Amino acid sequence: MSFLNKPTLSAMQWYYSKNSTQLGPISDQEMREKTTSGEILKTDMVWREGMPDWSMAGNVPELSMVTPPPPPHMASPGQTGGGILNTPYSPPSIATGYATQVANIPNYLWQSIVVTILCCLPLGIPAIVYAAKVDNLKASGNIAGALEASANAKKWCIISLFSCAVLVAIKVAGLTTRH
Amino acid sequence: MPMRAKRALLLMILLAVTAAAVFIFYQSNISAPWLPECMFHKLTGLWCPGCGMTRATHAALHGHIKGAFRLNPLGMVLFPVALIGISLELVGWVRGKPLPLSLRLGRYGASVILIVILVFWVLRNIPAWQFSLLAPP
Repeated sequence: MSFLNKPTLSAMQWYYSKNSTQLGPISDQEMREKTTSGEILKTDMVWREGMPDWSMAGNVPELSMVTPPPPPHMASPGQTGGGILNTPYSPPSIATGYATQVANIPNYLWQSIVVTILCCLPLGIPAIVYAAKVDNLKASGNIAGALEASANAKKWCIISLFSCAVLVAIKVAGLTTRH
Repeated sequence: MPMRAKRALLLMILLAVTAAAVFIFYQSNISAPWLPECMFHKLTGLWCPGCGMTRATHAALHGHIKGAFRLNPLGMVLFPVALIGISLELVGWVRGKPLPLSLRLGRYGASVILIVILVFWVLRNIPAWQFSLLAPP
């Protein structure tokens, strides 16, 4: 997954979008100032060279944003068009953009529930805990954390499924040797 | 993983699920002692959130929906939903691109399900008749 590799930030040129207008380029330093001051919100679209697609600022790992998104009705009623997601600048079009990849971090929730219900060992519970963490961390903009939680959810699903298989195998072996 | 391998794996999963369903359907005595049992229940004597699901699946496959809910009411809700969720993800995985439709529950959805399961786990172990309705008879 190439988007995980953190590029060097020194000479980074950022572009951002406010009220359907493309602004920038600004330096990484300026970008950080604008995100901490709240001038650029989590829901504003940003792009820099190296990113396959525009992404919401809150979804960009290196901008670990803490500002909450504005209430949806804050936009003036006369405003038409694509709203906050309208990006005037067209980035290089790549089929799967960064934002899409972030949105698709698997949480393994349904797999966790199936192993919890069927394996009848409480090992499925940590899998569900990590599944819950994935969505929560993703929503708060902690993409690295969400990916780690996703991997852990998967790990516990496999542990649960494997121990279930072992127990069934022991049971079957016990039955066949009894005769 | 190449598309062909993914398809083969999907076929194996479908066959395993079908085989399990057929196996459970044709059990004349679903409470037979030689069927896989819950290790948690065996070791602690307590009910786990999944206890009763083998019998509930058996009942549901024979059309006894009410009896299935009596054996594990939460499992009867979560299990079918989970199967739909996994199916959608599997199809997206095989074709290499997620489907536009998915069962993602947003930021707190999974947390709510986790709490519901934990509360259900505690409640069905309370030895009062109102709560023991949540445990298999």
